[in-house]
Amino acid sequence: MNPFANRIQTQQQWILPVTAMCLILGVMTSMAWVNDRNRTERLQRLDPDQRARVTTGSIDLDAFQSMSTEVQSLREQKSKIEKAMADQTGQGKILEEQVQTAELLAGLSPLEGPGIQITLRDSNKGPQSFGGIMAVTSDSIIHDIDVLRLVNELNATGAEAVSVNGRRVVSGTSFRCVGTTILMDGVRIASPVVIRGIGDTQTLVGGMNLPGGLVSEIRQSDPSMVEITPMMKVQLPAFAGTTQRKFATVPKDPKDSK
Amino acid sequence: MIFLPIVALAVGILLGVLLLNGGVDPRLGVYFGIACLAGLDTVCGGVRSGLEGKFRNDVFITGFVSNVLIAFFLAWLGDRIGINLYVAVAFVLGARLFTNLSLIRRYALTKWQDAQERKRLQALAQSNISAQPETNL
Repeated sequence: MNPFANRIQTQQQWILPVTAMCLILGVMTSMAWVNDRNRTERLQRLDPDQRARVTTGSIDLDAFQSMSTEVQSLREQKSKIEKAMADQTGQGKILEEQVQTAELLAGLSPLEGPGIQITLRDSNKGPQSFGGIMAVTSDSIIHDIDVLRLVNELNATGAEAVSVNGRRVVSGTSFRCVGTTILMDGVRIASPVVIRGIGDTQTLVGGMNLPGGLVSEIRQSDPSMVEITPMMKVQLPAFAGTTQRKFATVPKDPKDSK
Repeated sequence: MIFLPIVALAVGILLGVLLLNGGVDPRLGVYFGIACLAGLDTVCGGVRSGLEGKFRNDVFITGFVSNVLIAFFLAWLGDRIGINLYVAVAFVLGARLFTNLSLIRRYALTKWQDAQERKRLQALAQSNISAQPETNL
């Protein structure tokens, strides 16, 4: 081969093929791009630590945006209702009472009463030895399922209202695990998890300490992971998340729903 | 002229977004990601060989296609047989990408410095000529 052949060729002849391949590369990149629609499915295929890195910031931002729009619409609604209340007094009182009952059930009003406070925290025991192998067990960490089950047990024992880390548990509340943190209604919570419930203090404490229950299960791996405090007065905040329903509507005629 | 590939890349992304609308099967998305890395590496290799003056069209095109397909296939195979083969692919391609990019940077830097030097020498020669026009005649 002529060693000078390369010099004689026009200098920029590589640009066009590279451009063409760049075009294809661009299309491929957009195919591989992680967007809002395929995020969840793609995330499941990542390693847990990588998933935690990728999700940091993205979910909380979404929650923040939906909440700020909710706050906006609630403010408008509030001023509208206040105006209507000022207009009519007699009927308004009855309506107000009914609304308060409904809000109490739905978790939309702050509540207080006697109850219990349970604090769950990750074990601070270091790695343990299992036949010569040092490892941190999965049991030494508070999981989403622990919180979910504890809330369920509280409700089953007769708690009238429950909150987790200062956020009210309502009918649609979800607990999920994302990386190293727990998502409660899309908002990140982490150890220590403080669960408060309103109800008969003695019944609640007794129910929690039931042998074979969840609390005793956690205590088996490390007693310092659970702390139960009976409380004379527990204060629970109102549910602060979105109350909008996109699909569910109340039927006009109740008979139709049967 | 040199910015043509970058423009083409942007156009390609736009085209993909407009045509596909993110409608690729998410399971395939991972493989496309690794194929992208392979494509990027080959394009960088092409630019580098272009700057070296060793660019050959056939080598580049076949290299692009085969690298993309191999990366795609290895990632897929890894998932089938339960080994994270795509990590191996990403590792190798990532390392090569860095090598290629650093070489491109060096060539570009040398080229620029040469041009500066040439300009300086030309200016010097010009001033010498204008200072002593008679002696050169």
